[in-house]
Amino acid sequence: MKTFTPPPIRPGIHPRSGLGYRIDHGMRSSVPCLFVFFVALVLSAPLNLPGQVELMPAVIMATVFLWSVFVPVLMPSIAVFMLGIWVDILSFGPAGVMLLMMLIVHGIALSGRYTLARVNFFVLWFVFGVVMVGVTALQWVLCSALALHIVEFLPFVFETVLAFGSFPVLYTGFVWTYRFVVNNADPS
Amino acid sequence: MPVSIQFRQALGKLVLPALILVACGVILLGKADRPLIEKLRMQTADLLAPAYGLVAWPQAKLRWLSGNLQDIRNLEAENIRLRAENVSLRHWYDVAAALADENAALKSNLHWIPDNAPAFVTGRVVRDTSGLYARAVLLAVNPDTAVHKGGIALDGSGLVGRVTEVGKRSVRVLLITDSSSRLPVTLESSHAAAIMAGDNTPLPRVIFYPQDNVPIEGERVVTNGEIESLPAGLPVGHVHYLRPGQPVVVPAAALDHIDILRIFDYEDSVSPPDAPGRVPLPNVGRTMSLPSQFQSHPDQGLHG
Repeated sequence: MKTFTPPPIRPGIHPRSGLGYRIDHGMRSSVPCLFVFFVALVLSAPLNLPGQVELMPAVIMATVFLWSVFVPVLMPSIAVFMLGIWVDILSFGPAGVMLLMMLIVHGIALSGRYTLARVNFFVLWFVFGVVMVGVTALQWVLCSALALHIVEFLPFVFETVLAFGSFPVLYTGFVWTYRFVVNNADPS
Repeated sequence: MPVSIQFRQALGKLVLPALILVACGVILLGKADRPLIEKLRMQTADLLAPAYGLVAWPQAKLRWLSGNLQDIRNLEAENIRLRAENVSLRHWYDVAAALADENAALKSNLHWIPDNAPAFVTGRVVRDTSGLYARAVLLAVNPDTAVHKGGIALDGSGLVGRVTEVGKRSVRVLLITDSSSRLPVTLESSHAAAIMAGDNTPLPRVIFYPQDNVPIEGERVVTNGEIESLPAGLPVGHVHYLRPGQPVVVPAAALDHIDILRIFDYEDSVSPPDAPGRVPLPNVGRTMSLPSQFQSHPDQGLHG
């Protein structure tokens, strides 16, 4: 049986899919996941930064959220799961809570991405803030339930505020990475 | 195997809910099988301990350097202060020497059994694993040193915490400020026993003190020999009232920047004799003899 092959559109534009190209492409595509991986690693090192503990979930949540909204291909669910396990191993909190939070943020971003990808930046920021409030509240409830007593909620408020505040910076970083690293645009 | 696009899409939609379910499973697993999770974490920490050490080393050097620079700036004032302190310390040295002599003489008269010198290992703190939920530090130790779970961690000036997990190259020390830390302590001036309970703040609370013998502001807090692995008399800190009726312990150890810790092994320093306080019962059949005027039936004892 003769299979149908579409005629090549604009021949010569296609990059050659050699080994070098594939390595290059793979490296570029794994930047978001590698970023989360290394953020978790670096922020769990003894840097003695103020607010270091609260910064890790904030940065990770914002990164997962942004990539899941705009480029879910580069932040697939299974990768979020793996990264969640990694973050959970590095942080000495109750097991699985960060993992669940990351998956929920990923799920919300995925399900609303057709709306979220088109809205104004400030609306996106606000939506992220609301998601973070919800997720952090869930984290607090889970931590309290698993520790069998009410844990102090101020660090969680701090975590939310930090996530909200660091979102524009991470958004800028995301736009830059997407344009110049993942898509390899010409910086000029 | 070729699968239809619809099937693949349906499968793709199922992945996320399935993963969320697995995450809930992980939470339950973490609650049900805590040792497994802790083992996993300790193995990762073991792997990363050298890297953490590399990060901690320049910081320690920097702190040392900046400390030195500050010292140089304050040299003059420091010298004056030290001279004054030295005079006072000389006095106390004489007092201490006299007391030590007297103590030795009294002990020799009393046939005093000297305490065993406890074994200890020293390690550098490579990572503060304190999070939103816990206060703990990770310590790098030599693979062949014997550190046991329950070892007592002290820094130069006081009690820091207890060893809760032991890995190959690192041990985790739960600080006295952790919310799950409960230690029996003695308040030195009021001689009251109390429990020092951490609550994830820098100042652990004093609870269960006798209501007719309340802690005195500023009195020293030392450990109490109630639990086996923790000997009596280790310095913990001093009492401070945050507000009336809420005494806390200000730890003597510098818990906010712990550099080097010593882990003491007091495990078998004092082992209690079997069943302390047990009163041997009289043999069955033997009865207590009462004075004759209380005995209604001379052939029958107290228990019939």
